[in-house]
Amino acid sequence: MKLLIVEDEKALSDNIRAYLSRGDVVCETALNFEEAQDKLLSFDYDIVLLDIMLPDGNGLNLLRLLKRIQPETGVLIISAKNALDDKVQGLELGADDYMTKPFHLPELNARLNAIFRRRKFQGHKILEFQEIKVNTDTHDVHVDGKLLVLTVKEYELLLFFIANKNRVLTKQAIAEHLWGDNVDLLDSFDFVYQHIKNLRKKISAEEGADYIKTIYGLGYKFSADS
Amino acid sequence: MNLITKTTILYLLVAMLVFGIGGVVTFYLVQKEVQKETDFALRDNLDQIAEELAEGIPLNFIKRGKVDITDLGILPRDTFNNFSDTLAPHPYLEGQMEPYRKLTAVREVNGRYYQVSITDVFIETDDIYDVVVDIMLRLFFILSVAMLFFSFLITGWLFRPFQKTLEHIRSFNLKEEEILDLPETSTKEFRQLNAFVAQMAYKARRDYLSVKEFSENASHEMQTPLAIARGKLELLLETPALTDEQLELVQSAQQNIDKLSKLGKVLLLLTRIENKEFANNQEPVDFSGITRSCLENFDELASLKGLPLSNRIEPDVHLIVDPTLADILVANLVKNAIRHNVPGGWVEVRLDAEKLRVRNSGPAPRVPSEQLFERFQKSRHGDGSLGLGLAIVKKIAEVNNFQVSHQFSEGVHEVTVRFHP
Repeated sequence: MKLLIVEDEKALSDNIRAYLSRGDVVCETALNFEEAQDKLLSFDYDIVLLDIMLPDGNGLNLLRLLKRIQPETGVLIISAKNALDDKVQGLELGADDYMTKPFHLPELNARLNAIFRRRKFQGHKILEFQEIKVNTDTHDVHVDGKLLVLTVKEYELLLFFIANKNRVLTKQAIAEHLWGDNVDLLDSFDFVYQHIKNLRKKISAEEGADYIKTIYGLGYKFSADS
Repeated sequence: MNLITKTTILYLLVAMLVFGIGGVVTFYLVQKEVQKETDFALRDNLDQIAEELAEGIPLNFIKRGKVDITDLGILPRDTFNNFSDTLAPHPYLEGQMEPYRKLTAVREVNGRYYQVSITDVFIETDDIYDVVVDIMLRLFFILSVAMLFFSFLITGWLFRPFQKTLEHIRSFNLKEEEILDLPETSTKEFRQLNAFVAQMAYKARRDYLSVKEFSENASHEMQTPLAIARGKLELLLETPALTDEQLELVQSAQQNIDKLSKLGKVLLLLTRIENKEFANNQEPVDFSGITRSCLENFDELASLKGLPLSNRIEPDVHLIVDPTLADILVANLVKNAIRHNVPGGWVEVRLDAEKLRVRNSGPAPRVPSEQLFERFQKSRHGDGSLGLGLAIVKKIAEVNNFQVSHQFSEGVHEVTVRFHP
């Protein structure tokens, strides 16, 4: 996946690049409007990560430009303004998704993956991880060819894990992914544990291996290495 | 009653007073004039009689219906003219008396003295009175009709700029950028009003924008470093071979960053509600639907906590409220009810056209009910709550003119939002 990160805050841009580059994402960065415009005009990208508050221009104008010259490129808007107008306008202009700062990097990764899937394969993609196959179109999950019946949350959890395979996922990031902003309700993250327990049980019932590694006190890691 | 009707009525009242006084004055003036003319005629008549006497015409010839002459002889006496009012029988109507003007005079003609008395028909006072009143009433009637008629015609014309200004004020929206285009008018008062309104609108809009801009910028400046810090910690987590102790430190730092970030968002939300950035919705929204879908979101969380979440939601409760705020209102109340609960407790949500009521089991609050709605009121420390949930509820209620109250008795919390207090 080829990604352009348009973000004026260098530290944040570096974070994202460092995090995503560990996977199979090729990242380029643009720190201002002009640089971003040059890069968009010269190269093709799968996805553009766009901060709409840039010091020398409005990111929405970049979005307009991009939709004109590279309509098949996916766009994920990131903004510190939780302004509904921007969100609506951004999505109307053809952005695929919208995130407010601060966000969890695994969450960003999962969303980029989702956009990539939708854009490149029109959603018809079989995600594979060892013996686990996920059809993101029909939401069917197969383990060793056997159908797994999952709840919506368990399905989302599995997808989140696969998108962030080999990465440490804190209970917080998982909880926020599953329940959104209402997550501060959770006195503890026992609920995350509950869902993970159920998911593990269902996978192992179909004789799948346990890829969910518990990291004590912190969270989980979905990995084939033991 | 509009201004023109009021002034018209006031003018008519003044006109009534003026016509009353005018009537009295006219009456006396006419009466005086009539008397003067009558007296003049009588004196004229007397002079003529004196001339006739001087010509030696016998008294019997001179005596006429209303003239009486007595020969007083040659003894000198005072000559005088004396006017008086008298009553005499009506010449045609039997038994009716009529007022007459009488001139009694003593004159000396050719050395002899005569007493002459002449009476003449006098225009009666009540006749004058009747005529004056009649004239005044007719005039007053014409004036009233004319004034009422014109006042209604004028209202439309004279007040058009005012009505237009009102319309503009009514449709004024802080959020729109177009300038307030008030109509030109030649009326000084309306010009002053328009200038004032335009200035107020400009100021309000400027204040609105500066608060909006400031809160957005403040949020941006705060959330960006938080996002960076959070990312750094996530990168740190990815480094291999961290000890459990180190992991725990990272985890704790992350949680506090999350809390800070959430705090910033909630404070921004409060500012935006206060700045009425949500108040543009004038259409009734389906509050029942919003409540229902909000409860669906919490169903899972409530059941994970082992709290039955029951509801009785009347369909078709429509309210004029921003849908986002309505959602936040319900979500905060339900969230609160789930958070401040006891093991084995319950939550109940009821909605009807009058009110939204959220009841739940829970420990007794530590502060009086009113204080619960203040910012940063936390029942327990360290439960992950910011203590702003009810403050937001209160703020939303405030901008929508709802009334929100809390009660606690026998282990049951009850928060009621009345839509039409």
